[in-house]
Amino acid sequence: MISLWHFLAVGAALFGIGLVGFLTRRNLITMFLCAEMMVQGVILNLLAFGKYHGHVGGQVFALFIVTVAACEAALALALFLTLYRRGKSLDSGDWQAVREAGVPPVVDAEPLPPPEPEPAYPHLPPAGAKPAREEPARA
Amino acid sequence: MTLLAAVNLNAAGQIAAAAVLGAAGAYFLLPRPKGRSVAAGLFLSVAAAAVAAAFVVNTFGNPTADAVGQVLFWLFAAGAVGFGVVLVAQRNPARGAIAFAFVILSTCGLFLLLAAPFLMAATVIVYAGAIIVTFLFVLMLSHARGPSDENDRSREPLLGSLAGFAFAGLVLFALYLSSPAAEGSAANPLPALPLTVDDRRSLAAAADALAQAAAAEDRTGLEPNAQAARRWLGEVVGYAPGEAPPPGADAPTRPTLQQRLRPAETDARTWQVIEQADKLRDRKKEVFDKLDNNLLGQRPDLDAARAELRALREDVVLFAGRGELPARNVSAVGFALYSEHLVGVEMAGALLLVATVGAVAIAQRRREAAP
Repeated sequence: MISLWHFLAVGAALFGIGLVGFLTRRNLITMFLCAEMMVQGVILNLLAFGKYHGHVGGQVFALFIVTVAACEAALALALFLTLYRRGKSLDSGDWQAVREAGVPPVVDAEPLPPPEPEPAYPHLPPAGAKPAREEPARA
Repeated sequence: MTLLAAVNLNAAGQIAAAAVLGAAGAYFLLPRPKGRSVAAGLFLSVAAAAVAAAFVVNTFGNPTADAVGQVLFWLFAAGAVGFGVVLVAQRNPARGAIAFAFVILSTCGLFLLLAAPFLMAATVIVYAGAIIVTFLFVLMLSHARGPSDENDRSREPLLGSLAGFAFAGLVLFALYLSSPAAEGSAANPLPALPLTVDDRRSLAAAADALAQAAAAEDRTGLEPNAQAARRWLGEVVGYAPGEAPPPGADAPTRPTLQQRLRPAETDARTWQVIEQADKLRDRKKEVFDKLDNNLLGQRPDLDAARAELRALREDVVLFAGRGELPARNVSAVGFALYSEHLVGVEMAGALLLVATVGAVAIAQRRREAAP
């Protein structure tokens, strides 16, 4: 006998974590993945109730949800492509110009840290040239 | 767990502690230019997960009856939640997509535990495609070398974490209120399962006895087994009006299934089970009447008796499966899809078509109008 509430608890945790990611992250692709994680939590709920009631209706609904999630993925990625062509960025903060009237704009106060310097890769000399290298002093 | 016992929080306090710890952990883990602390965030998140797991074990008990099922459940649950946190907190979207793949695999393990193998396979296939496409998008669209606005900043990290974990905590509290562990669980809003463990045991014993009776060579092997099956069945579904209990049957020790369920006949499922139990009871009377009067009378017809017993055994096995998912998952799901939910299937197909057309129309590069 499998307990119902354990699976509901895992579904709630997945939904909550996905909600945090969807609300806070600014990369459109990461937001999309977080929304998909929330969908997984809901599917888990449906399957747990289906098992509890001994009815395949839960699995049938879960299949419909997977279908809708596939449609959502197709449309979301197409929209991301269009937005990227306009703004050359995946940042959802770039689109705050369409916010509600009277809402102050969000300004990023903290500057971004400077990019890390490129690591010093070794360079090969051009073929045939003598490498610039100090001769060891001979005693 | 010992810590929780020492602090002696009630259920609401434990859920609140887990939610606050989780929100604080997410606040420290979310990427931003200043104030991010991965070590503190990891510590708080692990603490929140430990408190939540201890609450679940204390309140709801073990997830499954067997040790293997418990190990698998905790493995998959920890994998789903842990990789979910990695997905939320990861700056690099490509690594986030990998973490999402592991979230999907873990939830697919949970699907298997929930007896949904077809959905497990479908989810793996659908989301494997989705994750590969997401990967292509990440490779195509994000070519930022250094820190960037979209990956290294978060929108309201504190309020967002609080909102998400407050939601999860409220759902957990609602679960607690609806579980049998809550105080005053007599008002449990979830209906109990119709067949109890004792019922299933009796039905299995009856099915075994019937199988032995149907395989018996002669009357001495057939009759005692058939009477034993009759007694087992009588314990669960009772005796039809006009049916005498078999010799050797004790006085009923517990109410029959119908007596137990009739007062609580609230939903269609319970009603169905009662109806089926009545049907099985009448069928039992019919079969044993035939056995007593004709088949085992003056001129016994053992072959016909065996056929009757075999048919009765199939009815018993079918009845014992009430309230359980059928074993043949794919055929059961397919049957439900194409018999009860045919309109839904058609609508899902139409939705897929419209979404495909819409995606192509949206993503199409429009020609620049000539000046």
